[in-house]
Amino acid sequence: MKKTISCLLVLLVAFAVFANGAQEVKSDGPIKIGSIQDLSGSASNAGQPNAWGAEYAVKVINENGGINGRMIEIYTQDCKNDVTEGLNAYHKLVDEINVCAIIGPALSNPASAWVELAGEDQVPIVGHFMDEICTTNPDNGATYEYMFLCEPSCAQQAEDLAEYAIKELGSKKFAVLYNPSNAFAKAQTDPFVKYVVAQGLEVSANETFGWADKDYSAQALKIVASGADTVFLSDYLAQMVIAYDALRDAGFTGKVVGANTMAPPFANQVKNTVYDCYFLQNYDMLNPSVGNINELVTAHMQATGTTSPQVNVGFGWDAVLVLTEAMKKAKDPTDGAELASLIAQTKDLELSGGVKITMNASHRTDTMGMYIATYDADKNMVIVGYEKVE
Amino acid sequence: MTSSGLSSHQHKINMWLQLLINGICLGAVYALIAVGFAIVFSVLKFSNFAHGGMISACAFMGYFFQARFKTAPPIWVTIIVTALCGVVFALFLDMIAYKSIRKHKSPNIYYFLASLTISIIITSILNVFFSKNPLAFPMIFKTTTFSVGSLKVSKMDTMILVISVVILVALMFLINKTKIGLAMRAVAINPDTSKLMGINSSLILVMIFSIAGSLAGVSGVLLGCKYGVYPDLGQTMMVKGFIASVIGGLGSLGGAIAAAFLLGIIEMFWTFLFGSLSTPVMTFVVMLLFLFVRPQGISGKFAKEKV
Repeated sequence: MKKTISCLLVLLVAFAVFANGAQEVKSDGPIKIGSIQDLSGSASNAGQPNAWGAEYAVKVINENGGINGRMIEIYTQDCKNDVTEGLNAYHKLVDEINVCAIIGPALSNPASAWVELAGEDQVPIVGHFMDEICTTNPDNGATYEYMFLCEPSCAQQAEDLAEYAIKELGSKKFAVLYNPSNAFAKAQTDPFVKYVVAQGLEVSANETFGWADKDYSAQALKIVASGADTVFLSDYLAQMVIAYDALRDAGFTGKVVGANTMAPPFANQVKNTVYDCYFLQNYDMLNPSVGNINELVTAHMQATGTTSPQVNVGFGWDAVLVLTEAMKKAKDPTDGAELASLIAQTKDLELSGGVKITMNASHRTDTMGMYIATYDADKNMVIVGYEKVE
Repeated sequence: MTSSGLSSHQHKINMWLQLLINGICLGAVYALIAVGFAIVFSVLKFSNFAHGGMISACAFMGYFFQARFKTAPPIWVTIIVTALCGVVFALFLDMIAYKSIRKHKSPNIYYFLASLTISIIITSILNVFFSKNPLAFPMIFKTTTFSVGSLKVSKMDTMILVISVVILVALMFLINKTKIGLAMRAVAINPDTSKLMGINSSLILVMIFSIAGSLAGVSGVLLGCKYGVYPDLGQTMMVKGFIASVIGGLGSLGGAIAAAFLLGIIEMFWTFLFGSLSTPVMTFVVMLLFLFVRPQGISGKFAKEKV
């Protein structure tokens, strides 16, 4: 009997020592985070630099000692701008690899499918999915506790641009041309129209096109006939190019304002002369004294052989920065609930563009505005302003 | 009076004329695709959906051919080179996909399935390597439009229109006025009997695929110049080409061209009057109406000959 009790005690002590040791190993081991990006598919041009930016940020953080001495391991998955692929990627990261947080993509479509899951699994997701439905429940207005946006939302960006057009460009009569089936386009166009109308101005034409449409000349003719002096465009690059050319071909000589997809290579894609074109930009890449975005873009170009600067590297970098700042403050940087609570308290954190981010109650930011850019006669992008609607 | 000095009535007339011109231009784009579609159907009696994928692939070939040069070669050089690439590509696809179907004398549904599969494979492969951001051909024209009175006409669309018409006339001449054309028509009616008449029907089929391939090459470059080059370019345009060839009468080149222009004009006016969102519905309703009321399409000539 004594022998049995002695054996049990030895086993108990051994188990306690082993369990304690295992816990110590766990708390000193690498911190696993995931990154779900559009590495292929329709948005790979945005997703690839985004993924690179996140991985580069992790590399730099690890080289500088990691999070309180713990290294970060980043596992990148491809969501192909597809909701199902995005869900598969999410489950692989959370259920198989056991990541404690995820860097989300720049597109809202896949991210919108994780809003409930992230809450159930207590896995914070930080990214640039700027459609409000990714951070706020559209049915009841509640904030998704585990979703965090690191740039101005769609509505904020649209309002910034509308404000600039009204105040700086003197626009009086607007028209919009967009694809209502494109969530990104709709999420910007609706608040743009709302803001313009709220300022007592007229939206004289509200024209649409579909995914399969390749000719917008009928819509452009209607816009010209409506007498609008400014047209708002919001869509992906291919559609923006067709829309711009259709407008100019139809004889529209007014101002064209649009989403950040109007950034280079837009000016080289359109067939008409680019003039009176104003669009949103997250970063002022032309100013080397602002933040480290130039450094990131250059490093990306050197590492990948990309010939044109890709601002999305800044997105990946910024999202990792917001997440890891919370990790540094956490008692347990792998505890999703604690991380979410700390990310929500992010205050005055300087991002790669030199602008500071503070999270608001909706897990978005009120502190960041948008740069307004245009093209000069040589098709070079020029930053002409910085706008933030209070 | 409007700001342009025209009366309201004149302004309205101008608007309708402008829509008509734009519709014709859009029709020219559809016609270019419909011809490639119809030529295969006219002989092989199946809708070659691989044509859409081939257009996309050829657009990339044309783009990368141009990109090889510091100073871009004239567009006609690119068109010819890409058309030749299209021929080689079409023959390759025939070899790997259609030849064995022919050999086993399998039903036409196999052709249809093979063509659909090829199209999806081509587009998927392109999607792996290229994003949806379009690649741009160098500018062909310094300005995009020219004026006819107060109306504006797209130079690119005019070029597509002219090329479509030239291709149609050349094809019509080939089919109706040459011995090869006679052989094509004979193979279209009955390949086995044609063989007994001394016609090398295999060679004729190779020629048909070569013509379709060259048309895919021409379409790829022209559509790439107009809309930019991206993986889904041919696929999305293919639907309109298919509708045009159904309305025109499957297998009828002239019918397909006429229907393509009709489709372009109707689409333009419909979009202007009722918005773009209902346009696809209208397009398919028109196609269904033709299938119910006049299944042989606008022309129906080829169908009668076959009967």
